[in-house]
Parts: sequence; C-alpha cells; structure tokens
Amino acid sequence: MAKWGMVIDLDKCTGCTACTTACGMENNRLPGENWQDVLFYQEGEFPSGTMKWFPRPCMHCENASCVEVCPTRATYKDPEGGLVLIDWNKCIGCKYCMIACPYGVRFYTDEKAPIQPDVKQVFKGDGKRSWNPPWRAPENRDDWKHGVGVQPNGVVSKCTFCYHRITKAPKGTPDLDPNNPALREFTPACVVTCAPTARFFGDLDNPNSEVSKMIANQRGVRLRDHTGNKPQVYYLTGGAGGAIPTDRRDKKS
Amino acid sequence: MSNNASTMAAPSGLVNTVFLAGIAGAVISVVLVLASLMGEGHASFNTTSDGVVWGLPISNYLFFVIMSTGLTFVAAFGMVFGIKEFYPVAKRCVWLALATLLAGFASLAFELGHPFRMLWALPTSFQIYSPMNWMGVLYGAELVFIVWKMQKLNAGDWDSGVSKKLGMASFVAAILAVAMLGSVFGMMAMRPYWFGGMIPMYFLLSALLCGVALTVLISYIAYGFERNSMPPAMQDLFKGTTSTLYASIPVVFGTVIGITLVALTLRTATGLWSHQDGFQAFNWMVASPWFTIEAIALLAAFVMMMNPGMRAGQGAQIGAAVLVLVAMFIDRYLFVIGGQVVPVFKGAWVSGFVDYTPSLTEWMLVVMSISLCLAIYAFGEKKLRLTDAPSS
Repeated sequence: MAKWGMVIDLDKCTGCTACTTACGMENNRLPGENWQDVLFYQEGEFPSGTMKWFPRPCMHCENASCVEVCPTRATYKDPEGGLVLIDWNKCIGCKYCMIACPYGVRFYTDEKAPIQPDVKQVFKGDGKRSWNPPWRAPENRDDWKHGVGVQPNGVVSKCTFCYHRITKAPKGTPDLDPNNPALREFTPACVVTCAPTARFFGDLDNPNSEVSKMIANQRGVRLRDHTGNKPQVYYLTGGAGGAIPTDRRDKKS
Repeated sequence: MSNNASTMAAPSGLVNTVFLAGIAGAVISVVLVLASLMGEGHASFNTTSDGVVWGLPISNYLFFVIMSTGLTFVAAFGMVFGIKEFYPVAKRCVWLALATLLAGFASLAFELGHPFRMLWALPTSFQIYSPMNWMGVLYGAELVFIVWKMQKLNAGDWDSGVSKKLGMASFVAAILAVAMLGSVFGMMAMRPYWFGGMIPMYFLLSALLCGVALTVLISYIAYGFERNSMPPAMQDLFKGTTSTLYASIPVVFGTVIGITLVALTLRTATGLWSHQDGFQAFNWMVASPWFTIEAIALLAAFVMMMNPGMRAGQGAQIGAAVLVLVAMFIDRYLFVIGGQVVPVFKGAWVSGFVDYTPSLTEWMLVVMSISLCLAIYAFGEKKLRLTDAPSS
C-alpha cells in the first residue's frame, strides 16, 4: 500500500496561485473556499516588512484529529493510499472536524459566500449539488463516498489529493511525476499545474521515491508538528521565497 | 411511601400565561427559522469556515442541555440521596430536565447540516474515539431515563425498586453526559482556550448552578410569585428554615454561585497569565462587554445569597436566579465563541480576533429554545401535577 504524500519546496514557490486555480477547476470549488489555498501574510513592520506566502493543502495527517472526532466516521483514513477523505453520504454537518483540524483546511459550503457575487446564486444547485457550475466534471465522476464532485449542501469538504486521479495510477508507482507523460493524468492537479515545479507527489513509504529522498536530504519539515497529527505534506524551506509562518505573536494584542 | 402527597391546588394563572407565551414564541420562531433555512440554508447564520464555525446555536444548545443535567442533580437530592427537604421540587425538576433537554436538542437539530441522517449514521458508525458520539449516546440515555422516571412519578411510584433505579440511572447518565459534552471541547488540544480535563468539571459545576437557578425561578412562577401559596415544606426549603441547615435553597444556591465564581476567576486568571499561543482568547473574553455583565451578574447574585438579610427573601431569590441564568447564558456564549476567535492556523497574519455577531436566524433559535422550554414546562404544570411529592 502506498502512503501518498506531497513535498512543497517553498524556495521555488512563487505564490502565483495557479495551484489554487487548477484545484478549483478540477474540484469545482467555490471562489474563496479553496481546498488548495495560498495564504499571504506580512512579516515585520515598515520599513523592513516583507510579504510572505504559504501554500496550504490538506495535510492528510497520519494521526488525523479530524478522523477521530467524526462521530459518524464520515471522515476516514483511506487504507489504500493513506489519504484522509470524507464520505458525503455519512457526513451530518456537525463541523466537529473543522473545529479539530489544526490547519483550517475544511469547508462547509452552506454559508455566506466569502466572495461576492455569490456564484451559487448564478449557477443554482439542483438539490443534489450545492451549486451547478457549467464547467463541472461529468456526473459519472461524482464519488460522494470519497468526497469527489460538486459539494452537496450540509456537509464538510476538503482536498482529496485528487483522489479520482491518483487512484488510477499504476500500483507500486513511487512518484507521480507530471513530467512523465504516462503519469501526468494521474497526478494531482495542483502538482501538474505548478509552473516553478515546487510541488512533488509520491509514496512516502517507498524509500526510493523522490519525495522520500527530498524529505531526507533537504530536511523536510511538517507544519505544526507539535500537534502530533503527523502531516503527510512536507515543506522544504531556505527562507528565500515562501515561508512557514512563525508563531502568531509573542505578545497578546 | 409510595403514595402521593399532592398538596396544592391548580397552578397559578401565570402558568397559563407562560404556556401561551411559550407556544406563541415557539411557533413564531420556528416559522421564521424554517423560512430562513428553506430560503438561504445555513447561509442565514453568520458562521464561516475560516472564522467561527460553531456559533450561537451551539452555545444555546450547551446552555440548555447542561442546565438539564443540573436539574437532574436537584431532583437527585431528594430522589437519590434521600434529602427529603428537596422532595417538593423533585418532580418539577425531572419535568424541567426533560423540557430543557428537548429545547437544547431542538437548537442543535436546526444547526446540523443533516439532523435526520444523524439518527442512523451515529449508531451505525459509532466512532468510539469521538467525544461527540459518546455525548449523543449519553444524552440519549438521559432522555430515556428521564422520560421513564417521569412516567413512574406521574403514576405515583416514587420509591419502587424500578423507580429508584431509574432515578439513579438518570443521575449517572446526566453526569456522564455533561462530562462528555465538556470533553467535546476539553479534548481539543489545538484550541488551548478549551483544552483541559477540568473543563468537564466546570461544566458539571455550572450545571448545578443553572439547575438550582431554574428551579428557583420556575418554582416561583408555578405559584404566581407568591411564596405563601407554596406548601409549607416547600416554603421551608426556600426560606432556609428546614431542620437540616444545608438542605435549603439559599445555602445551596449561594454556595454553588460562590464556587462557580472561584472557578471562573481562576480559569480567567490562568488564561490571562499564560503566554501560550491561543490563550489570547482570554484577552478577547475579558474585553467583551458581555463578560463584564456576566461577572457583575454573578457577583450580585452571590452577594444576595450571602447577605443574611436578603437570601431568604423572595425578591432576592428571584433576582439572583434571573441574574445567574443570564450570566450563564453569556458564559456559554463566551466559551463557545472564545475557542474560535484565535484562528487555529491563520492567526500568524490575521490581525486581531475573528469577528462574529449572531444573525437574526441564530437569535431566533434562542427564542425557540426558551419558548419550547417554557411551553413544555407549563404543559407539565397544568397536566402532570408537578407539585406532587411523597407523603413521607
């Protein structure tokens, strides 16, 4: 069994948000509810303040707190690929997983639109879907058991690592490299579209995979590792580009 | 001792007013909530994925279901621990525990994305690691035991083996349920404002406080705010003239207010003192005008119950009960929202705290819960002889 994971090289990431757009198109995300977000923030103050950015997908944690709090097991750890997925047929919309996620990567679409105009009012849902974008994927690609498709009302959603793509990859593939034409269509959309090649996707359990080597050789770090969630997304950082945010603030506001 | 000693005449006219007001309030609020939910869905709430996820409907749920546990405690004084001085309020407390439980559940049902799916998904999935799952199981058990116990009491069966066991089971289920509700928050290590094994204890303590406060308020309503209309044993309970010192409302009420104040003060001081990330929420809490109101209300209630010249007075007891209920409603709100005002992840670049103001639809759920609670109570007062007590 693979344990899929992602490596994001922050020295290469330019903060272009192409990943956000690709994910949004691939997964029919509402504007502002980005499964694959790039967060911009400021460090320091004028005149030495700098703008930083930070790409943040779901971490697909090994010890996912969202999995353990879910009272209906709608959020679960996929035994095949080590992904954290949501079964939309079982989710009751209690939002406990959103409370328990240390990374803020979950979305309950049945709320006020974060960006106006509200496209849900433009492309109204049909009762089954919360909205109905004309560019959505074919209906037969909907897979509610794995949280794939247009998000229905009353449930929580999150990044699936493009479950619908990676599960079609040949078994035993150590890395899903978009530069390999044979694997490109099985690679997560954000990885395929990343122009500066800052994203890498592969099997963390395979010591010969490129992602495993990068983590070992370049000291990959995990976000908020002290929570014990053990993310399956690693960051490489030298501080030249994007950066892992430091603690919020030392002093209370 | 299995026979009733029903003592009093029909409930006061005030109860009829409460019943009608409760029904009217419940109908109006439910219609408004349904209209909002069918029109906009949960977009009619002001909760957001990147801000406050659990809003006023959840704090409202907490307020009522925790109070239900407290009412079970007050009922247990007499029915489980045999403190006979509390018999005059026991049956009313059991019924009120049911009313508050249903009022809380109603708020939760409108907040959930799929409340009906919950009915099958919870028992068939049964995630043993989820505190919320256990909370559902335990509150479900409490509901069954309370209904069953009420049925026994209504049949005049106060002390058969089954009835006693049901009283004990209700008491235990209520303790475990509210403790598990506390754990729903207390186990969230990623949210330091909530985290800690003592949160369930605080919930238990404040449950008793709310239970006593509602017992006081409703008891006076039942007798039209005329203590002289109460049965003599009940008057003794409220005046503090029982043969046993501790078995009186002023002593219990004042003591629990005091202990709650200490717990609240220490929790606040600890949070303000610590510099750990996430504890900034305590600054948000104390800066809120609602916190000031809560603190003043609790202190005023405490002073009223500590003052020998006031605590046995009808006006002081009613005033203290109202103040405590208002304070604890605010307390639940500040608790639930406070755990979310410092974003778990975005905080590095979010200046200040997350904004949240409940929407009209969310406030309507509060009106609905209060109205439902009052209507159910008044129905019981009119139809179920809540003044009954064992003859000895």
